Amino acid sequence: MQNAQSVALQLEKVRDKLPLLYERDDILLTMIQQRGDVERVSSRNMRLPLQIRPGGKAGLANMDGGDLGRGSGTTYDVAQVTPVFFRHAVEITKLVEYASNAPEKAIENAAKREVKNNMAQFRAFLDKVMQTNGNGVLGTIGSIVTTGLPSGVAAQFNLAKPPGAQLFYYNQTIQVYDPTLTTNRGSANILLVDPFNSLIQVDGLPTGTSANDLIVHDGLTGAQPVSLFGILYHQTNATTGTWLNLNRATYPVELATPAVNGNNSTLTPGAVRLAINKVRKSLGSNQVSKLIAYTSLEQEHQWEQLGVTISQIIKEGAGGRASDLDLLFTGEKSMAGVPIKSSINANSTRVDFLDLSHWGRAVMQDIDFYDVGGQTVFPIYGASGGLASAYIFYFVTGFQVWNESPRSGAYINNLAIPTGY
Amino acid sequence: MIQVIRETHEAPESVQERVARAGGWNRFGEPNFRVVWGGARLTWIGGRWTDRDANGNVIRESVELRRAPKYVPYDRWHIERWMPPECYGSPEEWYAQTIEEEDGIRIAALGPYPSRGEYEHCFTLESTSREFIPLSAGACDWITRAVEWARRQPRRGLRRALDRREADRARDWDRDMDAVLDEEFPRVS
Repeated sequence: MQNAQSVALQLEKVRDKLPLLYERDDILLTMIQQRGDVERVSSRNMRLPLQIRPGGKAGLANMDGGDLGRGSGTTYDVAQVTPVFFRHAVEITKLVEYASNAPEKAIENAAKREVKNNMAQFRAFLDKVMQTNGNGVLGTIGSIVTTGLPSGVAAQFNLAKPPGAQLFYYNQTIQVYDPTLTTNRGSANILLVDPFNSLIQVDGLPTGTSANDLIVHDGLTGAQPVSLFGILYHQTNATTGTWLNLNRATYPVELATPAVNGNNSTLTPGAVRLAINKVRKSLGSNQVSKLIAYTSLEQEHQWEQLGVTISQIIKEGAGGRASDLDLLFTGEKSMAGVPIKSSINANSTRVDFLDLSHWGRAVMQDIDFYDVGGQTVFPIYGASGGLASAYIFYFVTGFQVWNESPRSGAYINNLAIPTGY
Repeated sequence: MIQVIRETHEAPESVQERVARAGGWNRFGEPNFRVVWGGARLTWIGGRWTDRDANGNVIRESVELRRAPKYVPYDRWHIERWMPPECYGSPEEWYAQTIEEEDGIRIAALGPYPSRGEYEHCFTLESTSREFIPLSAGACDWITRAVEWARRQPRRGLRRALDRREADRARDWDRDMDAVLDEEFPRVS
């Protein structure tokens, strides 16, 4: 038997390794898992009881026959979470397989390469969706170009920043919605992603697509689609809309995350202290020690340009003395003492101060191969009804992200993006 | 019963001198770097304060300007770096950004404009496992070396360093993934 003929068997053997490949702390999702809770849930809503408002009535009392007044009780409510499912489909043609089934042709087998590459891609996709506000919107069309494009390209979307084009990837299927997320205009495939110029090119232009339309990921349907509840969903000071099935207007203070408006200015130590102090003032200083500063490389760079931190310099360039320096140094860059965690996918105009001990995931299905009766690799059929010379397998996962205390964090938004990005 | 609310310490003068010599002096003749104890380094914080008991229950709320420790943890030595006033924008910009209004009271959330600049957190003296490190001669040597090193570094390489770190992360992930998958996917033979 040739190596290539045992692909299905190999995938079976590797399936218990998938979580290992997936759960690493370089993406926000796994930071949440490692520092927060993971709850196994069924298809019913996961309920998160919240103690939202204090009770009791305190005050001066007249003990000389005075009226002591009535009391009140604590206000509780229940937030609810329902997992959503994601899939990532991987196809391998027989030609690719044949081309890698002998040492003189290739040193890596095709199945391994595809598991590795697509695991990375799926992780990246989920991390990108994690940056959004729960409706799967990956970008906003600023303007549309339909002339002077390469052959096969139907349109170029120039995208508003943030996030520009940073949440898209080549060959991704996307859908275009109207600005109110009511009308699904249709789908297209991405032929080019240019994050530096904030544009994507697509193979089709859905009818009616116009400026200010929203681009969402594949698989969403209907009006007001629901996707993964990301940073922008949990970390907002909005007082309208819903949050985990609760009406924000009912608890406008309790569900709002403290915010500092950067006013399109560059990041300053003052803005950082303002945001951190908001957490201190409402929850106490102990709370600050649990925060991380989650931000983009752009804002991390801006912070370094201020010249406050010296950690990177120590880590990278102390030459022969680096090791003894490191012995006394945690190696973490910090923002006013709060450790920085940066991501290429993070919003380039924000710094989010997160207390991940309040975050968690409601998991219905861990990441795994999609299997039917133990089978994980499936044939593809040609147009004639006969077999096509290719096969397909899927990664699937079903979960949702929750945060039981939106007030435990803070954020700075509308920051200027440093020049050169 | 006497309850210690906050412990304060001053860094020895000899340590401050060594750190100052290593880091140089600013335009006001003050050191660019200094060592402070977390519990002793206070700053102005204004706004609505919610005080809680040990169980997190609200005890009181008040709108006021307080002198409070600037950094956590309180029980560590922190190294600060001086930042010039221009880092904080103009006084107008400072107040536009930091004035908060609570119950009709306008209050400067970060206190007055730092017209002589301000010392900001640079790093905390603690071990990799976040344990306390005393301000010994050895630690002082380490701090001064770090400060001297920092002074020599140009800022123009910062972006390149970030890009390099991201590339390293991707390469490490790829290598680790290979290690995991190699067991199940042997080399083609």
